[in-house]
Amino acid sequence: MTRIETRDYDVVVIGGGPAGMGAALAAREAGASTVIIERNAHLGGILRQCIHPGFGLTHFKAELTGPEYAQRFINRVREADIDVMLGSMVLGIDEGGRGGTAHNVTVMGEGGMVRLTCRSAVLAMGCRERTRSEIKIPGSRPAGVYTAGLAQRYINIENLRPGHRVVILGSGDIGLIMARRCALEGLEVEGVYELMPYANGLHRNVKNCLEDFGIPLHLSTTVTRVIGRDRVEAVEVSRVGEDLSPIPGTERVVPCDTLLLSVGLVPENELARSAGVEIDPRTRGARVDQDLQTNVAGIFSCGNVLHVHDLADNVTAEATRAGRAAAAHALGTGERDGLAAPIALEPGGMAGYIVPARIGRMATAKAFFRVRRPLDRAQIVISAGDTVLFRGKVRDYKPSIMETAPITAKMLAAVGPGEALTISIDPVEEA
Amino acid sequence: MQARYDIAIVGAGITGCAIARQLSRFDKSICLIEAGDDIALGATKANGGLVHAGYDPSPGTMKARMNARGCALYDRWSEELGFGFRRTGSLVLGFCDEDRAELERLRKNGIANGVPHLEIVGPERIGELEPRANPDATCALWCPSTGYVDPFEVAIAAAENAVSNGATFMRGAPVTAIDRPEGGGFSLSTPRGTVLCSTLINAAGSGAGEISRMAGDRGLRMVWRQGNIAVLDKEPRALMPLYPVPTPMSKGVIVTGTVHGNTVITATAEIRGQGDKDTYADDVEALLSGARRLVPDLDTRRVVRTFAGGRAVIEGTNDFLIEASKSTPGLFHAAGIQSPGVASAPAVAERMEQLLRETGIELVERADWDPVRRMPDDFDLAPIERKEELIEADPAWGRVVCRCETVPEAEIVAAIHREPGAVSVEGVKRRCRAGMGRCQSGFCQSRVVEIIARELGVEPSEVPLEDAGSWIVDGPLKKPGAPVGAIAEEGR
Repeated sequence: MTRIETRDYDVVVIGGGPAGMGAALAAREAGASTVIIERNAHLGGILRQCIHPGFGLTHFKAELTGPEYAQRFINRVREADIDVMLGSMVLGIDEGGRGGTAHNVTVMGEGGMVRLTCRSAVLAMGCRERTRSEIKIPGSRPAGVYTAGLAQRYINIENLRPGHRVVILGSGDIGLIMARRCALEGLEVEGVYELMPYANGLHRNVKNCLEDFGIPLHLSTTVTRVIGRDRVEAVEVSRVGEDLSPIPGTERVVPCDTLLLSVGLVPENELARSAGVEIDPRTRGARVDQDLQTNVAGIFSCGNVLHVHDLADNVTAEATRAGRAAAAHALGTGERDGLAAPIALEPGGMAGYIVPARIGRMATAKAFFRVRRPLDRAQIVISAGDTVLFRGKVRDYKPSIMETAPITAKMLAAVGPGEALTISIDPVEEA
Repeated sequence: MQARYDIAIVGAGITGCAIARQLSRFDKSICLIEAGDDIALGATKANGGLVHAGYDPSPGTMKARMNARGCALYDRWSEELGFGFRRTGSLVLGFCDEDRAELERLRKNGIANGVPHLEIVGPERIGELEPRANPDATCALWCPSTGYVDPFEVAIAAAENAVSNGATFMRGAPVTAIDRPEGGGFSLSTPRGTVLCSTLINAAGSGAGEISRMAGDRGLRMVWRQGNIAVLDKEPRALMPLYPVPTPMSKGVIVTGTVHGNTVITATAEIRGQGDKDTYADDVEALLSGARRLVPDLDTRRVVRTFAGGRAVIEGTNDFLIEASKSTPGLFHAAGIQSPGVASAPAVAERMEQLLRETGIELVERADWDPVRRMPDDFDLAPIERKEELIEADPAWGRVVCRCETVPEAEIVAAIHREPGAVSVEGVKRRCRAGMGRCQSGFCQSRVVEIIARELGVEPSEVPLEDAGSWIVDGPLKKPGAPVGAIAEEGR
């Protein structure tokens, strides 16, 4: 019978994008033996095809392109005595390693099957794009309907033209960036259509990618039918009402040969689920504590597989924390505080979700969240039961920006047994 | 170009492929002619994959005879042809006394049709058989012989087995005219050349009426009974097929597992314009709400794909037409094979062999006939030791292209070089599942295009999604050799 090779590590990092590289660097720096497993033939993840600038403003205080941002980490990984397995995919994680004291990570690659055992595993697999089928656009199913990321790959990596006349659905950042990319490459961009009454991407992208290129943005409008037998020939767009359903009679047929979709990102957690990791239905990422540890001891999660971030810089910051915590767990150097009775964090008001989902009593940490819709005047309210512990100043909030809330030991001390700490974003009326 | 065969079969759906496979056993030359560029592009592709047991059709109809027999044949066909088939059994859920009366009628129907082991069961047994079935169901028809397949896989497997036994597959060859030369037989004109044959089998699905007319028989009028179908992401345990109480028009919206663990919701039934393969918002909503009634905890947000197709219904009858033409000697029909066409396919093939014999055609078994299809490994389903062996033999088995379904490059290359092989991205998908998963080829499509182009020696711009005309990319944006942007390179 064929024997499967086994190798031991302190920390196995799954995914070689910004999250995986950030986590691996931090884990190695803390003294853990570390390996990165990456499906593609290169490190860098999706950054490799994000050739636009805007990366690194926080982390490097410099404006870099995606490949440049990635390369800085790739160089550091090379220098850091971190093993890297490229072209390798994890098929499963189970708890059978080293007589039940470690995780088994089963990996396949050109070299064959390998079993890695580790005390800590960091999930950093990133996210995928929502598809046409997930948002159920009716009509025919011809060629020419692409997720924005796939079109980005064709244009930026393959040097191939995905179409000639393009309609973009969704004003998320990828949709906006791709509107500009298509325009720069000589594709005609008919317009960007957005279901919501506001743009979903960062303000700077609306300005730099649409307004500067004269590309119209149609709000409260969506694609209601794809037309064409073999290749897209047109799409039908309709205005939507307040309930977001199409208004009959507002249909308009827009001739085009390509429909790009930028309609949201979904953390890729199939592997996590099969390993018994508990998933938050709000983020579709793992439920973690302040150290980014999931309900499965020794399995950590960070980056877009945990929750979809706005900026790569924020992914790096989170991944650094995850890598450090994973190393501490593996090496037994972590503090063992009152995690036995963690406090649950709950979103309230217009806060769409809260990461982490629970927090140890002795910890101080930041909580991360996004709002569900733009708010001109709102404030953060942190409370335990009926007791308000903190009120933030009134300001505007946007769904495109990831927000933070400071959680202090004092707040945690005020939470009674069985109570949750609620972080709420409450709209404030004009005085 | 002109070629002569003993038997020409028009239509490479599951029916035509099954017939080709059945007849490839004998000493006849066979040509399977398909208008589209691949196998299973019509009703077979747009199908929920259920192998219905046969309690539904009215006793005495051709459907009733074919369905129960076809369902019974599936174990052997699956074993020989190596396609996935699960005989899970099914439940028709009833929620009131009226439903119970209807279930009793179905049970009697089924017994008359020869369906084995039918039983009316109560809530407790329902919960044991499928714990996720709606607990409000008060009664159900338990039918242990129901199963499911991927219908396009059945058609592909049957066609491959037919071709390995000597049959010819001709794709992209819509029949434009049929002449009947002096000496007998038929001459079929197609853009790929003329096919001469003495026996013509009409398995052309929604085109069966036109083929019949061209061959000198009556022009059957076909009705396009359109259905929308939804596929949901994988579940830890595949659902048992759950049916509502049927209506006169259709079996209603059914929820079923698949051989790969997805959930399929199938199908709406609306009369629509011939060839309409659009999905409709109202239909999809009807699917999802129908499914939730059968499985209340089903997460219907996890839709991986919606699609639509038409059942090939002959106007004025709800039955199959499987017979020797009464007016045109040498012409045989396997037409109007609407639901339950998948379940019936092996029986329709068997029936066609009989019809040929009844008209005096002598069929002698070939000494070298091999009923077993040779097929490449399914990496995802292979045990870990087999995976290791495959990669050791060829590292391309270790290069995963489709991450959602764990399909390595070697499996895609094999799909292209099987006979008949894949010539399109969708053709690859139907053969090895690359692109069938939750990301719907967002991650792997460009790789698949590249592999097809490389293996077939064409440009990426010549690789279609499905039929000719469904181009995916146009030529290079910039001149080859010119710098193509700031892609990160090592050591810069």
